[in-house]
Amino acid sequence: MTNEMRSDLTVAFQDAWKGVASPGAVWTGRERVEIAAEARRARSNGHAGPDIDPLVAEAASTVAAHPASIRRRWVERVVGEGLGHPGYVELLGIVARVVAVDTFHQCLGMDLMALPEPIAGRPTGITDGRARAGKAWVPMVGGASITQALSLVPFENAELELLHGPLYLTFEQMSDPGFTRGLTRPQMELLAARTSAINECFY
Amino acid sequence: MLSWSARETDTPFDLRAVTDPTVDPIIPGGKMLLELAGAVLAGEATANAAEGVRLAVGEAGLVDAAGVIGNFQMMNRVADATGMPVGAGSRLRNAELIEDLGFDRFDHLGD
Repeated sequence: MTNEMRSDLTVAFQDAWKGVASPGAVWTGRERVEIAAEARRARSNGHAGPDIDPLVAEAASTVAAHPASIRRRWVERVVGEGLGHPGYVELLGIVARVVAVDTFHQCLGMDLMALPEPIAGRPTGITDGRARAGKAWVPMVGGASITQALSLVPFENAELELLHGPLYLTFEQMSDPGFTRGLTRPQMELLAARTSAINECFY
Repeated sequence: MLSWSARETDTPFDLRAVTDPTVDPIIPGGKMLLELAGAVLAGEATANAAEGVRLAVGEAGLVDAAGVIGNFQMMNRVADATGMPVGAGSRLRNAELIEDLGFDRFDHLGD
């Protein structure tokens, strides 16, 4: 099958991989690529890699392969046992983006992109001090909102939004019910609803 | 968003198809789109379903479909793993929908 890959998607995937490989707020580039690899292993029913911390492996594999099983108590445990809120939010961002990019390729019958080589450097330690605990399970800036879900770690929230636009719609385009690219908006929303239903995600 | 976009664009649809794959969603190409989502999320081969989508909505539509499914794989995980609450107003507005489609069984945010 030949697919007309949109150029914005090609760029978005390359940028996403660079983001995964780069040092984050908590994790080094090497650790971030290990988290990405663990997410892939979990979705293909593989065993955890030998070099990854068991707690990190548990968190990455749960988010990747069993997201509907996640409960507040589990989040509190993995955060409390060592990930911390910034480490957990960063891990979540990495895993969620890898699953998105992999799913895209699987839909089209394409080979998965090789995971990137880690980029050297120390974690930045950059978090947003305005983030506060609220109704959600992790601190966010400005209250619980899906657009602010990863805002404790600004890099992760920005990376999520950079991928969200090309894959689906930018937050601005979402307000246009007549938006059409290859699919009409109702066709897109049918897919969105079905994907969420299969994932048992009420939100 | 499905009900809203369909209403705003005068697109007939059957919402039951979201949770019941035997229901025709009526939306053009809808059955093929649902088959693709079902196949990839089940970890099954997608070649046949993808070809069905391509025939129904074209090559660009197929690429868009892959993007939408990928995006919601991402956003579902973000919502689930952060315990994103569904507001009381949203619950109230969608109460009938929630009951009709059985979406309450997905709600694990109270735990």
